[in-house]
Amino acid sequence: MAVYSTRFIDPVNLMPLVLKRRSVIPGFGLAFGFTVLYLSLLVLIPLAAAFLKASALSWHEFWQLVLSPRAMASYRLSFGGSLVGAIANLFFGVLAAWVLVRYDFPGKGILDSLVDLPFALPTAVAGISLATLYSPNGWLGRLLATLGVHIAYTRMGVIVALTFIGLPFVVRTVQPVLQDLDREFEEAAASLGANRWQTFTRVLLPSIFPAALTGFGLAFARAVGEYGSVIFIAGNMPMRTEITPLLIVIKLQEYDYSGATAIAIFMLMISFAMLLGINLLQTWSGRQGRAESARGEPSRPFESLYVAEGGQ
Amino acid sequence: MATSLTWTGSKSSGPSFAASGALTESASLRWILIGTALVFLSVFLFLPLAVVFSSALERGIGAYLAGIRDPDALSAIRLTLLAAGIAVPLNMVFGVAAAWALGKFDFIGKSILISLIDLPFSVSPVVSGFIYVLMFGLQGLLGPWLIDHGIRIIFAVPGIILATIFVTFPFVARELLPTVQAQGNDEEEAAVSLGASGWQTFWHVTLPNARWALIYGVILCNARAMGEFGAVSVVSGHIRGLTNTMPLHIEVVYDDYQFVAAFAVASLLALLGLVTLAVKSLIEWQARRAAQIAQAGGGEP
Amino acid sequence: MSISVRGVSKKFGSFSALDRIDLEIPAGELVALLGPSGSGKTTLLRIIAGLEFADSGAVEFEGQDISSRSARDRRVGFVFQHFALFRYMTVFENIAFGLRVRPRRIRPSREEIRAKVHELLRLIQLENQAQRYPSQLSGGQRQRVALARALAVEPSVLLLDEPFGALDAKVRLELRRWLRDLHDKVQITSVFVTHDQDEALEVADRVAVMNEGRIEQFGTPADVYHSPATSFVYNFLGNVNLFRGRVENGATFIHSSPTGSIIFVRPHFLDVSRQPNGSSHFRAVTKHIHTAGPLVKIEAVTEWGAPVHIEMSQERFGALGLVPDETVFVTPKESAVFRADSHPAAADKS
Repeated sequence: MAVYSTRFIDPVNLMPLVLKRRSVIPGFGLAFGFTVLYLSLLVLIPLAAAFLKASALSWHEFWQLVLSPRAMASYRLSFGGSLVGAIANLFFGVLAAWVLVRYDFPGKGILDSLVDLPFALPTAVAGISLATLYSPNGWLGRLLATLGVHIAYTRMGVIVALTFIGLPFVVRTVQPVLQDLDREFEEAAASLGANRWQTFTRVLLPSIFPAALTGFGLAFARAVGEYGSVIFIAGNMPMRTEITPLLIVIKLQEYDYSGATAIAIFMLMISFAMLLGINLLQTWSGRQGRAESARGEPSRPFESLYVAEGGQ
Repeated sequence: MATSLTWTGSKSSGPSFAASGALTESASLRWILIGTALVFLSVFLFLPLAVVFSSALERGIGAYLAGIRDPDALSAIRLTLLAAGIAVPLNMVFGVAAAWALGKFDFIGKSILISLIDLPFSVSPVVSGFIYVLMFGLQGLLGPWLIDHGIRIIFAVPGIILATIFVTFPFVARELLPTVQAQGNDEEEAAVSLGASGWQTFWHVTLPNARWALIYGVILCNARAMGEFGAVSVVSGHIRGLTNTMPLHIEVVYDDYQFVAAFAVASLLALLGLVTLAVKSLIEWQARRAAQIAQAGGGEP
Repeated sequence: MSISVRGVSKKFGSFSALDRIDLEIPAGELVALLGPSGSGKTTLLRIIAGLEFADSGAVEFEGQDISSRSARDRRVGFVFQHFALFRYMTVFENIAFGLRVRPRRIRPSREEIRAKVHELLRLIQLENQAQRYPSQLSGGQRQRVALARALAVEPSVLLLDEPFGALDAKVRLELRRWLRDLHDKVQITSVFVTHDQDEALEVADRVAVMNEGRIEQFGTPADVYHSPATSFVYNFLGNVNLFRGRVENGATFIHSSPTGSIIFVRPHFLDVSRQPNGSSHFRAVTKHIHTAGPLVKIEAVTEWGAPVHIEMSQERFGALGLVPDETVFVTPKESAVFRADSHPAAADKS
C-alpha cells in the first residue's frame, strides 16, 4: 500500500507548483496564453501543415524527389558554396574581430557599424548590387576579367553572395569574447617566455575557438537557405548554378507541388538539425566560458548573438 | 594601458619594438593585419553599398526620380508600407507578451518555447513562404474551403502580410528578452508590493527599463519586413501594381534591364538599412556611456 | 639576483603613478611593496617584470640594465592577482607551458619536462591534480599552481601581484606561511605587492611602504613598525589615535596650543586609570566597551570632545572593572610626533 500513497496528493493543488514557480508578479496567464496562441497560429500550425502535406507522399516517392539528380546538384552548390563562404568568413571574421578590438585606426567606428550591413541591407538589393559589381563591366568584374577570373553567373558568384550574407556572424560572436579576454593571460604567457605567435595559437585561439565555431555554424546555416542575394549573381543554370531554394521556387512555378514539398521538407529538417547543433554548440561553449579560471564569474560570450541573430 | 597601436613601448632609447614585442605585434604586422581586414571589409561592404547609389544616380537625378515615381514603383512602396505597418505592430505586441512571460516567470518548457520562437530564423525564406502556400494555396489544406468562400490569401495581399509576419516574427521578442531577463524581478515586485496593478507595473516599471531594446527590436523588425524578398516572392504571384512589394518590384524591373529604376528603388531600401545601422550604433553608444557613468559612480575608477 | 630600481617615473595621462623611485632589493630576499590602492605598487612591480615600461629611469638585475628587455627575455616569474591560469590547459600543461614554448635548441626533452613538472607538483603538494583543469581547483590550489608555473622556468626573480588578494581569509593565512617556507626553501629574490599590513609585516624580510607614487620607507618589518619614518607610515601600519599639540623641551603636550605638531598614539599605548597619576594625563568618558576578542576595545570621548580608541588586556580590564559612561584618566605611554605639515620630524618616544 505504501507504494500508492504518493498518489493521494491532490493533483489540482500540485499543478501550479509544477508548471510554474509561484510569483507575485501578475499577468502570466495573459502573456503566456497570447504568446502560445500567436506562435501556434502563425508558425507551428503552418509548419505542421507542411509536414502533413508531405505525408501524402509515400516514403519511396519522397526520397526519389529529394534525391533526384537536379536536386542533388542544387544541394552540392548550396551546401558546398555555404561551406566555402563560411570558411572564408571564419578566417576573415576572426581577423576582422581582432583588428576591430585590438587596434586603433581612422574610420574604425564606421567600419564596426558597417559590419552588420548584410543584416540590414535587403537581400534583393544586395543581390542586384553584387551582380552589378562583379558583372563583366562592373567595377570589380572588369578588373577580374583582365585576370581571366569570372565571378558573375558562375559558382564563384554564388560563393561571393553567400560569403557576403554570412559575414557578420563570426565577427559578432568573436568580438565580445576578445573584448572580455583579460590581458593577464597574454602577460602570463609572455612572462613565461612565449613569443607572440605561441601566445596567439596556444592561449588566445583556444579561448575564441568556441565562439568562432558558433559564428561559423550560424553563417553556414544562414547561407544554406539564402535566396535573394544569390539568384541575381548566380546565372541559375539547372545542374550548374541553381541553388536549392531557387529549385523550390521553380518547381512551384511549374506546378510541381510534390517535388517542391519534398525538397522543402528536406530543407526544413536540415534547418532544424542545424538549429539543434548550433544550440548544443552554444551550450557547450557557454560552459567553457563559465569555466573561467580565476574569478569564477560566468562570462557570457554570446550576449551579442541576440544582436547578430536579430539582425538577419 | 593605452590601445596597442598608439602605445610604442619604452621611451628609453634602443629597440622599443623588441621591448614591446612579447605583448603586442610589431607595427608592420599590425598594419598588414589592418590592411587585410580593411580590404576584405571594403570589398564586401563598402563596394556593394557604393554600387547601389552610384548605379541609381548613373543617369542623373531625373532618371532616378522617374524610377521612383513610376506608378508600379509607387504602388510597390504603398504595399510594402502596408505589410510592414501590419506585421511590425503585431510582432511588437507578441514580442512584449513573450518577453513578459519568458523573462519574468519560470515554468516548465520555457527553453523549448524560446527555441520555438527562434524557429523562423533558421528556416529558409523560400520555405517560409512555401508553408503558407501549402496551407492556403489552391492545392493547400484549406485551399478548397477558401475558394468556396471566395477568400484569396495566396497571390494576394493577405499572403504577403502573413509571410512578412513569419520572417520577422522573432525580432522584438529576441531583443527584449535578454534585457527583461537581466533586469530581474526586484523592481516589479516592489511595484506590486506598493499596490500597483499588473498594467501599471508594466507601463511604469518594465517598459521604461526596456525601452531601448524595444526600439531596436522594432527597427530591426521593420527593416526586415520592408526588405523581405524570398518568402514574399513565393506567395505574391508577382502581379504588377497589385502584389509587388519594393523588393519584388526591384527584381521585376532589374530583369527588364531597367537598371536605373531598379537601383533607384533599391537605394530607398539601402537608406533604410543605413538608418537601421545608425540607430543600432547610437543605442550601443548610449548603453556604453550609461555603463561608464554607472561604473564611475561606483567609486573605483 | 639583486634588483635595483633607479629613478623610475611613470605617468598615466596626467596621473603620476610613480615619481622617481629608487629601490635596492638584495639577492635572495623576500620584499613586500605595501601601500593603499593607487600608491603605485602594482605599477612598480609590472615595470620590474617588463609588463609595463617606465617613462624614465632604469631597472637593473645584478647591476645589468634590463630596462629595454621585454618580459619574455627577463626571466621573471610573475604570479598574477587572479592567477591568469590558462583555462583550456590542465594543471600539468599550465606548469609545463613555459618549458614547452622555449626555442627548440634550449627546450628540455619530453621526459625532462615531465620530471620537472612532477617535482613542482610535489613542491606545491598537488601531485594528484595534474590532469585537472583550473576550474576544478579551489582558490588556494590555483594560487599554488600559478606559483609552480612561474617557478618552472627557473626565473631569476619571482614577482607576485597581490598573491593572496583573491582568496578568503582562512586560506590566505595558510598560504602566507606556505609562501614564507617556500621562499626559505628556494631562496629566490622575490617581490610581492600587498595592501594588507599584517601580510607584509609577517611574511617579508623587508617592506617598502608606498604612497602616491613614492616610497615612504624601506626597512625590516620591525623597523617600519617601531620606527616609522613618516606620519603616513605610522598611520598606515596599525590603528592609531591622532592628537594635535606641541613639543617643548622634549615634553609632549597633547591638545595645547600652538598645535604645530601631530601626535600619534596607538590604542594599546594608552593607559587608563580611575585616579589621576601625576601630570601627563587627560580625562575621557567611556562610551562603548567591546570585550570580545583577545583585547578589550574601548571607545571613549576626550574632555575636549574628540573620539579616542583604547585597547587593553582582558586582565587589566578585569582589574579595573570599567563600565560605560564613566570618567577615566588616560595616560599615553608612548607616542610618535610629526610636524603638522606631515614631513617626517623627530619620531619621539616619551
